[in-house]
Amino acid sequence: MTRAQRKLILPATLAALVVAVIVLAPVLPLPDVRSMDVPNRFAGPSATHWLGQDEFGRDVLARLIWGGRASLFIAVGSALAAAVIGTVLGLLGGYFRGLVEFVTVRAAEVILCLPPLLLALLVVTILGAGTWPLILALTILYTPIYARVVYSATLQVRSLDYVTAQKAMGAYPLRILATTVLPNVMPPLLVQISLVVASAMLIESGLSFLGLGVVPPTPSWGLMIQAARGSMEVAPMLLLWPSLALAGTILTFNFLCDRLQTALDPRGITAGGALWLRGGGSRGAVPRSARRAAAPKQDTLLEVEGMSIAAQNAGTSLELVRRVSVTVRRGETVALVGESGSGKSITGLALTGLLPDALSITGGDVRFVARDGEEIDLGALDEAGFRRIRSGEISMVFQDAAASLNPVLRIGEQVAEALRAHGGARGRDVDARVVELLRQVGLPDPERRARAYPHELSGGQRQRAMIAVAVANNPRLLIADEPTTALDPTIQAQILELFRSLKKATPDMGLIFITHDLAVVAEIADRVTVMYAGEVVEDGPADEVFAHPHHPYTAALLASVPEGGTDRLVAIPGTVPLPDAMPEGCRFAPRCSHARDVCRTGSPPTSHPTPERRTRCVRWKEIA
Amino acid sequence: MIRYVAIRSLTAIFLVWVVVTLVFMLLHLVPGDPAELLLSQGSIAADPAAVAALRERMGLNDPIWQQYLDHLGGVVTGDFGASFRDGAPVAEQIATRLPRTLEIIIAAAVIAAAAGIPVGTYAAIRAGGRVDGFVNFLASAAMSTPVFVVGSVVILLFAQQLRILPAGGYVPFSVDPVQHLKLLLMPAGTVALALWAVIVRMSRGAVLEVLQRDYVRTARAKGLGRGPILRRHVVRTALIPVLTVLGLEMGTLIGGTVLVEYVFNWPGLSGYLVAAVDARDYPEVVGIVMTISVIFVFLNLAVDLVNALLDPRISLVRR
Repeated sequence: MTRAQRKLILPATLAALVVAVIVLAPVLPLPDVRSMDVPNRFAGPSATHWLGQDEFGRDVLARLIWGGRASLFIAVGSALAAAVIGTVLGLLGGYFRGLVEFVTVRAAEVILCLPPLLLALLVVTILGAGTWPLILALTILYTPIYARVVYSATLQVRSLDYVTAQKAMGAYPLRILATTVLPNVMPPLLVQISLVVASAMLIESGLSFLGLGVVPPTPSWGLMIQAARGSMEVAPMLLLWPSLALAGTILTFNFLCDRLQTALDPRGITAGGALWLRGGGSRGAVPRSARRAAAPKQDTLLEVEGMSIAAQNAGTSLELVRRVSVTVRRGETVALVGESGSGKSITGLALTGLLPDALSITGGDVRFVARDGEEIDLGALDEAGFRRIRSGEISMVFQDAAASLNPVLRIGEQVAEALRAHGGARGRDVDARVVELLRQVGLPDPERRARAYPHELSGGQRQRAMIAVAVANNPRLLIADEPTTALDPTIQAQILELFRSLKKATPDMGLIFITHDLAVVAEIADRVTVMYAGEVVEDGPADEVFAHPHHPYTAALLASVPEGGTDRLVAIPGTVPLPDAMPEGCRFAPRCSHARDVCRTGSPPTSHPTPERRTRCVRWKEIA
Repeated sequence: MIRYVAIRSLTAIFLVWVVVTLVFMLLHLVPGDPAELLLSQGSIAADPAAVAALRERMGLNDPIWQQYLDHLGGVVTGDFGASFRDGAPVAEQIATRLPRTLEIIIAAAVIAAAAGIPVGTYAAIRAGGRVDGFVNFLASAAMSTPVFVVGSVVILLFAQQLRILPAGGYVPFSVDPVQHLKLLLMPAGTVALALWAVIVRMSRGAVLEVLQRDYVRTARAKGLGRGPILRRHVVRTALIPVLTVLGLEMGTLIGGTVLVEYVFNWPGLSGYLVAAVDARDYPEVVGIVMTISVIFVFLNLAVDLVNALLDPRISLVRR
């Protein structure tokens, strides 16, 4: 039983309790609801009348319980009737589509064009007040809601393979609907039923209150509230009891519906609303603990040493990136390469403090040299500290430009926002700078593009706009996370060309290019860092690594690239191991054709074939 | 954009036609003679002479297509005929009472949006916390309590016990503005409570969803503070579905203030409808239902158009 299912127990019990009391009314030892006792009208609670007596001296508790019967009967009756009719209409409409869809679902939806209470009133005008007209009115009212829910669920199910298979085997449509489709639409149907019962009670009580629903002397909560209004000054409790009963019952059903929804669709909620964007922290200043004087080496921009990243969840910790080291010098382009799941994107996000909520840096040293020559420990930086260095010092280009640009803001505004965030330009200067940036990233007619919305641009143009946002404040380090992956090959080449020209224009800017595409690496990178299963396996100048890989994984990656020189493509057998099932020893060993026993015991140390190169293979000399 | 407006407007006009026809059919397709049905009370048979007179007045002796055309023409010209009860033109009554109902709805919508959007947003950024739990409970309770219960309890509290507000009634604004507003306060507040609950839930859900979007991460990557991110990127996008729901709810309310007007003795359109239903005054009921439905349809149209303005992507999507 999952947590969501356990949370169902309380509302389900409450609802069952309410229903039980109401259903058992005839068996309970209650006074007659119609026996009047006028001398004792408005009498307070007593041993025989627990909740007192009403304006005719009738027992309030008994009327309360019996009153629930009318409400519940009408609400449940119409909810079920509407469910049956609506389900049939929805199933037929969703399964057969076409004309059937029009006369079932679309026709039912016309009812939704009328305000609900109004429709109920219209039916009552024609048929007169009473229990049955009310049930009819509510059934008409709720049928299209079910029809809609079942219809859309049916649409989803009908295209599934096993339904198509049954159809192909010649099963009768009705059989398919009853045995295959119906069970699949049950969950949303259940949620709807509890929702409709609550809503039907609202309308029933309202109409009864107006004297257009349940006819006296049958007790009903709406009628009781209406009657109590007249004697509000003498006996306010007479108003409160039925009000509480009514609101409480409806609340119980709504509560049940909410929990049912969470139980059936557990994707629901993440705690802390994106952690309220990681808290406020100190106001923008880089904390002293994160500052250090004097750079270690000349020209170094970023030095990551032994950085680990783990996912923390309810006390357990899962390491996703282990002791990664990367160095970026001024003006250098470093490619971070690996298959999906190698941890390369997470590494990039960690450098800008944009890790997903559950992840955090758990170890290592991450030093960045700021524009003023001061060294900042990124691992110790809080959100406010990161805010200050983002965009101006370290900036990021994301993979999916369509999702990473705000759809309801104009391109120009989104670039301008980055400029204003760092208080540089103001007013007209911003507009001029925006156009200049858009021109720099190669958008044609930049004045007009600045006024366009993201959806009005092509995929390649959106990625250019994204890049304009990223370079708006002349970052010292630009991290590009798979910036070409989602694009067509010809557009990919153009975007790569753009990166190259940006590098030419700002020769001091460091670039980390995250990709799984070795062909791209060869085009753009000075150095390459190969990652596998959360670890760096090889690192060195790009041309050297390509010419003589010192790690079997790099060699395998190279062999799998379609290039003129190679005779045939070699796929790497197996997949990247999952973080909770990492092999002991070398993480690549299970997929490695050179693996020996020594590879499977103990993590391999880092070797330096040359001062500029690293490899995490113990047998690099033999396989070279 | 122009094409979108045209398509949506045509759809709205089509819907109005459907509703007009539906109301006509409802009256004429029910088994039995409408005149007899309208005059009979329970199982007591109606007086044949009265039925014949009513048939004549309702034009039931005309061929069905002519009745239908008259019905359509009445809606187009706004002429719903004269009331059975007092012979007064129905359209005139509607014209006096409709603004009073709209006043309650608009006041309620303003109160609900002003109080609901900030609370929903706050609950979202504190999701899972105590404030969030409390707000959720309040909203559920507010949604589960029928308006006439809230109204009655509010009268009990403010008019009967504390005696700080009048229990109900109506004074035109031109006669006594202060008293008018005082009288408006309780009915508008009562309607606002239910609406508030809807808005809180919607805005909480919408903000939570938008906070997860990639472009919010982009905004962080730009170095924006969380205040600007919330204002410019999160709430702005989250408002679109919230305003849609607010607009649709306002439409529902045009027929749904019946109970509130009744409880607070506010002489609006809905109260008029109840009286008409009670008296089975056919021209009145049809006139009011038609008016409300037309407003409902066009309000939905307005919501769609405002949405298209707020979210530039919508006008491109073909429906």
